[in-house]
Amino acid sequence: MPAFAAPLDRAILAGALCGDGAAQVGAAEGLVRAGGDLPADDLAYAGRLLGALVERRLACLPDGALLLAGQNAPEGQDAVTDARRPAAEARAPVLGLRQRAAVETARGVVALLTEGTPAARAAGLAVLERRITIVPAAVLDRARDAESDAALKGTIASLAEAAALSSPDPVRRRAAIAAVAASPSGAAAARLDALKSDPAYRADPAFRVALDAGLAQVRRAVAIGDGLAIVYNGLSFASILFMAAAGLAIIFGLMGVINLAQGEFIMLGAYTTYGVQEAFRRFVPGLLDLYLVAAVPVAFLAVALVGIGVEALVLRHLYRRPLMSLLATWAVSLFLVNLVRVTVGTQNLQFSMPAYVSGGVPVYADFVMTWNRLFAIGFAVATLFLTLLILRRTPLGLDIRAVTQNRDMAACLGLPTRRIDRLAFGLGSGLAGLAGVALCPIYSVNPGMGSGFIVDSFMVVVLGGVGSLIGTLVAAVAVGGANVLIEPISGAVAAKVIVLVGIILFLQRRPKGLFAVRRRR
Amino acid sequence: MQTIRARPAGPAPRAVRDPLVAGLVVLCLVAAAALLAAPPTPYLVNALGQLAAFAILAVSLDLVWGYLGILSLGHGLFFAIGGYVCAMHLLAHGASVTGVLPDFVQFMGWKTLPTYWAGLDLAAYAFVLALALAGLVAFVFGLASFRSRVNGVYFSIISQALVYVAMLLMYRNDTGLGGNNGMTGFPLLFGWPMGSPRVGTGLAVAALLTLAAVLAGTRLLVGGAVGRRMLACRDDEIRLRTLGYSTTRLKLGIWCLSAMIAALAGILYVPQVGIINPRVLAPDLSIEIAVWVAVGGLGRLGGAVIGAVLVNGLKFWLSAAMPEAWPFILSGLVLLVVLVLPNGLLDLAALRPRPIWLRRGR
Repeated sequence: MPAFAAPLDRAILAGALCGDGAAQVGAAEGLVRAGGDLPADDLAYAGRLLGALVERRLACLPDGALLLAGQNAPEGQDAVTDARRPAAEARAPVLGLRQRAAVETARGVVALLTEGTPAARAAGLAVLERRITIVPAAVLDRARDAESDAALKGTIASLAEAAALSSPDPVRRRAAIAAVAASPSGAAAARLDALKSDPAYRADPAFRVALDAGLAQVRRAVAIGDGLAIVYNGLSFASILFMAAAGLAIIFGLMGVINLAQGEFIMLGAYTTYGVQEAFRRFVPGLLDLYLVAAVPVAFLAVALVGIGVEALVLRHLYRRPLMSLLATWAVSLFLVNLVRVTVGTQNLQFSMPAYVSGGVPVYADFVMTWNRLFAIGFAVATLFLTLLILRRTPLGLDIRAVTQNRDMAACLGLPTRRIDRLAFGLGSGLAGLAGVALCPIYSVNPGMGSGFIVDSFMVVVLGGVGSLIGTLVAAVAVGGANVLIEPISGAVAAKVIVLVGIILFLQRRPKGLFAVRRRR
Repeated sequence: MQTIRARPAGPAPRAVRDPLVAGLVVLCLVAAAALLAAPPTPYLVNALGQLAAFAILAVSLDLVWGYLGILSLGHGLFFAIGGYVCAMHLLAHGASVTGVLPDFVQFMGWKTLPTYWAGLDLAAYAFVLALALAGLVAFVFGLASFRSRVNGVYFSIISQALVYVAMLLMYRNDTGLGGNNGMTGFPLLFGWPMGSPRVGTGLAVAALLTLAAVLAGTRLLVGGAVGRRMLACRDDEIRLRTLGYSTTRLKLGIWCLSAMIAALAGILYVPQVGIINPRVLAPDLSIEIAVWVAVGGLGRLGGAVIGAVLVNGLKFWLSAAMPEAWPFILSGLVLLVVLVLPNGLLDLAALRPRPIWLRRGR
């Protein structure tokens, strides 16, 4: 079997390809083995010969080989000297099945290393994938280092890794295991786990030790990454809950009214965001990416106005009948849902996602910190601080706290309690509008979206205690965290059941919730 | 807490002095007799029977909301318990007679009915089980809530969460209760083929008679000493407790009774519509029950019946005639009643035009 070390001996290659089946296979496999070291022009030459052989344009003479322009052409170029020679007595060898496979593999190597377009290189790689065990690491490493196309580079790297893992060379395999273990992920664990059924796992103690160690390392890292992802998802769910519940808690604390339309106010906030997006698209398409930012004040004000309208038209008459206000706000929610359904339609709205809320950064193992959830978390934190600022540092906040503590005394001191109610209701509704903005990049936006998590946010208010923003925050984190923690163990439904039972049991000990504001009557 | 059992002083209980309830009871009996004598079209019979079942449900809610001030937004749960047990009985009965397993059991790939279906083909056992189950769930939930003095709006939204969670639970396919498709295709009722007009008439008559009995029974209850205690508890629970009455026990007892009446309505409802699925557990449906009561007249048993019949009659008619408009009409009706007629449509009967701002609301 000729050794195909660099530089390539072109006469030997041509001779071998004209030889018998064994010689052809030997030449093709030799090319595959040496492919990583051969210079580019030798590879291209070998590629031309192999291509001609497959297409039956390689004609063999007793003293050399001819490359024909087409099948059965009368004359061709000598494969070694390039001289034109007649092809009258030449025979064109026919490839057997075994030979064809070997030759195709060799062509694949050549294509991967020398072709000009990523598509042609990818085609070469696809050929190699079928017989990856005989492709040496040097070929794949060289291809990977030279590759300019990022996607193809990734494919080559993962294929190289797979090839190394199943390589017959034990040292290379162990190195490959270590390399896989160094960048842990669920997929890596699955790949390593598959190796356990490899015969070498029983036969070779060194391999077994290396595999077990690598697998343990990957599993540990994946577990940590999954834990981080759960915490992250819990936090983002808690942020949404907090924003949905904050307005509810303020309104409930002040007026004893549970606003069953809060979910629909959130929906209105999301639809306002959509309206802002469409306005940007029409009038300032260049600034489209900023629509989410612009939607924040718009959604707050729009939904706050709707809330003030509802308060003025309906709830104002019902402060002495809180149970009736439940029905009234339910009627409002029914009205709003169907109004949107009739005027806009029931389909999910399509949002264009700016760069700052799409994609994410891989942080550790499988844990990817997605920007849209980070947006929601940051939004909730900003909302928390702004609301605290309003409640603690502004005259309106002082008034709201005073009326929450003792309505009659506040009225005696000359506070316009009815007007404060209305403004506070506007504030609470506006907060729901903000929640709608934060939801746009995460949830699907449709008329019925409000009912999805409204029960959860009620639970947050009940658990947190009346009129305490900090209580709402703690309860949101608790409910959100519990939901996300229990969900992987026993399913989403069981998580909801357990959280509800937990809240009912908790209320046995503290009927007023976690942080009840002390009221003076 | 020590309970002092004392009969409240005052005139004798006005047990039967409610002309509205008396009239409704008579109307139910007359309607039942008319159905038996000359049954109209099956559609009308069925509609009457369903309305009667809804009226029973409304009475059960009015009992706790109107007379105790406890608004349950989860009464659909007890209705569904009755309905589900009834559906289980019908399917088990059908399977034991025909030998053909229900669709959803075959769909899940099971060979037999789940073990906890044992004995459900006996109607009496199923009936007792439905009431007992509803009572038990109500007892546990009520005990947890009333003991820790959870009331008012708090209680309402926790009961709503309860029915919501139950809905999520029932949407699962592995509960052995039909999952999201629910249970349907009931073949037999007491050995009679389900679709026949005589069975339909029988069901409607049973619903009407039950409504009459429930109305009469609850009227006797609220007209007596217990009723006064209920009203006292509604208007000032702390004072009643200070006077030595165990309000927890009172509320718990009426709450369980109300749950069992709701389950009764579910039992009567399911064979008439021929299907039960988790949609009856949707929180919106439970709120609608409260809407019936509020529309008819809160705190008047007859009002609950009138509200249930009126709203559902409108719904039967309008959701077929103009489905788009129905939600708007319903929300408008609720707002109208809540804002202008605080005691429901029965206010119209009083005909005492006083400006709304002079009225003390409840």
